[in-house]
Amino acid sequence: MSIDLLVQALLNGFGLAMVYVLVALGLTLIFSILEIINFAHGEFYMLGGYVTYYVFAVFGVNYFATLGFAILAVGLAGVVAERLIFRYLRGKTLNAFIVSLGLLWVMQASAQLSFGVLDKPVPSAFSGIVRAFGLVISVERLVVSLSAIVLIAALYLFLRWSRPGRAMRAVAQDADAAALQGVDIELVSALGFGIGCALAGGAGGLLAPVFAVSPAMGALPVVKAFIIIIIGGMGSLPGAVVGGLLLGSVEGLGSLFMGSAAVNVLGFLVVILVLLVRPRGLFGGA
Amino acid sequence: MEPSRGLSAPPGRALGAPIAGLALLAAGVVALPQLTRDSYYLDVATTILMNLALTMSLRLQVSTGQLNMAHISFMGIGAYASALLVTRVGISFWAALPIAAVVAALLAFPIGGLALRVTGPYYFLITFAFSEVVRLFFNNFFVDLFGGPSGLVGIPKPSALPWFGRALTFTTKLELYTLMAALLLVTAAVLVRLEHSRFGLVASAIRQGDLLAETLGVNVFRYKLTAYVVGSLVAGVAGAFFAHSHQVLHSSDFGLEPMVLLVVFTVIGGTGSVWGPVAGTVLMTIAGELLRELHHYESLVFGVVLILTMLWAPDGLVALPGKLARRRRVGVSLAP
Repeated sequence: MSIDLLVQALLNGFGLAMVYVLVALGLTLIFSILEIINFAHGEFYMLGGYVTYYVFAVFGVNYFATLGFAILAVGLAGVVAERLIFRYLRGKTLNAFIVSLGLLWVMQASAQLSFGVLDKPVPSAFSGIVRAFGLVISVERLVVSLSAIVLIAALYLFLRWSRPGRAMRAVAQDADAAALQGVDIELVSALGFGIGCALAGGAGGLLAPVFAVSPAMGALPVVKAFIIIIIGGMGSLPGAVVGGLLLGSVEGLGSLFMGSAAVNVLGFLVVILVLLVRPRGLFGGA
Repeated sequence: MEPSRGLSAPPGRALGAPIAGLALLAAGVVALPQLTRDSYYLDVATTILMNLALTMSLRLQVSTGQLNMAHISFMGIGAYASALLVTRVGISFWAALPIAAVVAALLAFPIGGLALRVTGPYYFLITFAFSEVVRLFFNNFFVDLFGGPSGLVGIPKPSALPWFGRALTFTTKLELYTLMAALLLVTAAVLVRLEHSRFGLVASAIRQGDLLAETLGVNVFRYKLTAYVVGSLVAGVAGAFFAHSHQVLHSSDFGLEPMVLLVVFTVIGGTGSVWGPVAGTVLMTIAGELLRELHHYESLVFGVVLILTMLWAPDGLVALPGKLARRRRVGVSLAP
């Protein structure tokens, strides 16, 4: 087997993995701030897909402007969900699981009732392929991956340097101590939940032209995101990025040798192998 | 994970309440076929009884503070084991049922032992990963054995049992209902007895503070693993019944969707009491059947019901009467 083929497979795996990292980062951010696992996270991704469908495919607005709008709109939806529901569930993992499940059903049913059950195709915003060093990659995939990387970098800069970002990290470390230092926990929770959902919305917007838009589209990325955060360690942002790269490379290489169904098993096997060595994931704390 | 609750009935004080509960359950189970022989009602009732075995055993695991998302996988292991023992090995259902349950329990040792090294959300996600591996395994590997995506077909109904010179058959809906009812009543008696034993007390202590229990000399891991294995044994029994009453197995029968329903039943009912899953399973199944009339709006309404119930009754439905009584006494708000 030529080395080109291997690199090509890795590249294919990484491309989509970067978008799943976005979904995983949102999930892990929400977990670190509210200590809950939001099972309806994929439905915010779906919302981003539909915003993209209507604004970009139907009204013909510029793709990047659409993406920004999707991120804002879904982020706002996340803030609303946090204020109405999730703020009462801080730290109650079991109850939050049931509630987010209820929200998942509500959002999926609403999407079916208002948008229909059929797939809606979103045209590609970019066409053509790029050839370099014997590798082939479509411009669309390249734009999708690069946009995801830009969003990941933006999140990093926000959390690292901005005041609200620092407040978020403080709450993630110790909510009580942060409150004693004057951090507004309610504000940070709403903002954190909103940003987490906005990332999922952005991912939905990025993948809308790659896959079609449908009410159940959130299931696949959310399972990938779960695999990524279990590998990387819950609540760890670098863990999510490393977990995504690991999953992407394993799936990319695996697809050379086996069918797509077996590749899906591969991701879970990586999870179990990692957990055998590090039960809390690669970057999970005590 | 759970707010601390007082021990509702310490052993020795009164076994009256649990016995009354079991008697009530038995009375309901016996009364139903006297009220109706309609095949739709019998089907729903049989499913409720099977789900009760699953939710009551799931709650045994939750009673040590852990939500096991792979519970349904052990039902699947029991189902596939029993089906293959009968169709491939050729032994009778009555021999296959206990073997299938033991197979599920034996596999629970390594899987539980591995998963129980972590707690809380980590445990939740790890067991979820396990359940997906098991489901994908049934779906994609050894297709000529497990039937792959098209399912395992041709599983015979439970064979007839000699009973004082005549044969008890298990072919009609009523007979299958009776079989599941018998299996459930035995299971419920064991689980209720366990709840009111030293085991139940220690489990409650672990749920309220496993670190404290550990410092008092409790081997927390062993208790959690015991709950895991016993729960999986019960799930294996339910799986064997499922295999031979449905006669067809698909890997999706043991996937995320049915698992999620079990969790919904258990948590909505309340995990603080052994009767919580009973209330949750019966009420939510009936609600689900009634909502079916709404067609497209079914999952919408079901979702809203879940959200509101959890916000207003965070400790589950069985904790609600006590909460209302307290409110009447001291006048605190029920609002979340």
